[in-house]
Amino acid sequence: MFRYFLLKVLRSRNYLFWSMVFPLVIMFCMNMAFGNIYDTENSIDPIRTVLVKESGSFFAEQFAELVKSMADEGAERQLFDLSEADSAEQAKEMLLAHEAMLLFVAGEDELEVFLSDDHSMTSGIVSGTVADSYRTNFRLMTDVYENAERLPEEAVSEIMDNMSKELSYTMQSKGIFSDSPNPYVWYFYSTLVMGMFFNAMTGVNLVSDLKADVSGEAMRLSVSPGGKGKMIVYAFIARLIPSLLISGIHLAVMKLVFKVPLGDDPLRLAAFVLCSDIFAIGFGVICGLVFKGNLVARENKTTGMLMASVFLSGEMISQLPGIIERSAPIINDINPATVMNMALYRLAMYNNDYDFYGNMIKLVAASVVFLVIGTVILRRERYASL
Amino acid sequence: MNEILKVEGLVKRYKELIALDHLSISVNEGEIFGLLGPNGSGKSTCINCILSLLEYDKGSIRVFGKEMSPKAYELKSQIGIVPQEVAVYDSLTVYENIDFFCGLYIRDKEERKKLVREAIDFVALNDFVKFRPKKLSGGLKRRLNIACGIVHKPKLIFFDEPTVAVDPQSRNRILEGIGELRDKGATIIYTSHYMEEVEQLCDRIAILDKGNTIAEGTIEELRNMIKKSEIISIEAGGLEEAVLEKVRELKNVYSLDYDGSTLKVEAGSGRHNVIDIVNILQEAGYSLRKIFSEQPTLNDVFLELTGKTLRDE
Repeated sequence: MFRYFLLKVLRSRNYLFWSMVFPLVIMFCMNMAFGNIYDTENSIDPIRTVLVKESGSFFAEQFAELVKSMADEGAERQLFDLSEADSAEQAKEMLLAHEAMLLFVAGEDELEVFLSDDHSMTSGIVSGTVADSYRTNFRLMTDVYENAERLPEEAVSEIMDNMSKELSYTMQSKGIFSDSPNPYVWYFYSTLVMGMFFNAMTGVNLVSDLKADVSGEAMRLSVSPGGKGKMIVYAFIARLIPSLLISGIHLAVMKLVFKVPLGDDPLRLAAFVLCSDIFAIGFGVICGLVFKGNLVARENKTTGMLMASVFLSGEMISQLPGIIERSAPIINDINPATVMNMALYRLAMYNNDYDFYGNMIKLVAASVVFLVIGTVILRRERYASL
Repeated sequence: MNEILKVEGLVKRYKELIALDHLSISVNEGEIFGLLGPNGSGKSTCINCILSLLEYDKGSIRVFGKEMSPKAYELKSQIGIVPQEVAVYDSLTVYENIDFFCGLYIRDKEERKKLVREAIDFVALNDFVKFRPKKLSGGLKRRLNIACGIVHKPKLIFFDEPTVAVDPQSRNRILEGIGELRDKGATIIYTSHYMEEVEQLCDRIAILDKGNTIAEGTIEELRNMIKKSEIISIEAGGLEEAVLEKVRELKNVYSLDYDGSTLKVEAGSGRHNVIDIVNILQEAGYSLRKIFSEQPTLNDVFLELTGKTLRDE
């Protein structure tokens, strides 16, 4: 029985399309639409740069060292394609000849920055940031050094420590809906969740397989001597296994093909996938039981529910959950797709225990309720009407 | 003869609507029992109650001498059902469908394999075992539907209008198959609103109307229940009212209709009905072209008992 239930699911073109193929198509489309933005944000071509050291001062020497380190081809992120010139005039001619885009002139205790007339926006931002940071940090270090005797030793040490740290605030959680999510990552997560959520269709199908007043096949099962409990378990597992496989394929494609970050906790990611797939099937079972009509009518109504839920979760407009949170937060709290999205996003992007487990508890609790109700109703062998 | 099924005083209500109204039937071992009635008369409701698919309000159902209930798995293992709609999985092949439904009753793989082969042979689907139902014609799908219901060799089989929307050739094949199942020892309960099928196939018949059994017995017994035993048609032109009156006054005649060319007479049981009428017409000097005499059909039985035809609804 289990083998045939499994075969039935694996041969369902409708299910395979919506749960597996459709999300993959969306992912490819999104990669085409957003992939360039992501690449631009995350990779900068080395800027053709000329460095002129007009002084042998400590300020100029240190700056030259800094720029050279940023031009190192072996560095994790090479910002500059560096050449050196003997004089500022010679370097400016290189700018005019478009041989370089950026010129640093390091003097006794001053730094000058020149850009070619065809410079890119990136080179303008990078050069300004590097020069300003160096000036500020150098002055701060000089002050600390000159006043070290008047400051407590711990204070000096703390200042030096803080300066050496590269603090980043971009990963800071300020509340679950307060930030606009990274659109590239968000859309991939939403699509993964959509694929998992579409497993609800197999839940509807499970009801049709087992409830005698929905299909003739279920009627045959009901008049047979087989126990309903066993049938329910087989039918459920036969749906869960393909769901997990499909989710695995989606995750692999996201990670290996589209290089989407999935966090650094594979165990919790696996737990999330398992819970979400069980939840989706349970949700489908409840939809299959609540909606009336034949299998197609029940499937259509469930698809409508899924579409609405996925839309509200930000599949098309990533800021939508944030907007909803400000006006009607209850919708985010009860919308299954949003709950799944946020659990995954907080896990992968922030490794945030509280938000992750908060959403996971909702998923598990809802799954248990759905499955218990579903089992109780499906185990019935007599009906008020057929 | 052993009584395989006994239904007594079965009542099933859907709010105000009474679907079964103290319905009682009994079916003997090895017979084909017909449940005949128009749409909505309660045939399918009756079967669903017997199979414990429907809750009923009152009455008792005993199968193989035991009380039938949803958890009477031992009884269920001896029952087969061929539902009205084709109830097979579109995503499984013919073989897989039959094997799946057989697997609900038979665990042993080897035995199952043998039974599936026998069922395929029985419905003559050998050339289609790897086909999915969508690729099959309506008649072949019906045969598959039957194979799924009888594959485990049940002792009691319910056929719920198995020939609806089936071409005449497939219908004959199905009816022959049902006869073969009876000959092999199965007891069959056959529902239909096609009286010709029921007359051809069934050993005993119960006629249902508005959820109640209005008559039960063999075809002969049912025919004897009604006044009309013969329908006589005579082609003769220009019959006068006085002659028609003479015919009307005959002892067994209770209905007469003349349209100017054909005289149609319904008569009760009597050995000489045709001769008596022909004598009157010949004595009056009329020449007769054609004479027909027919036995009443089940539809006539139904019409006389209920005042409506079987296919009225």
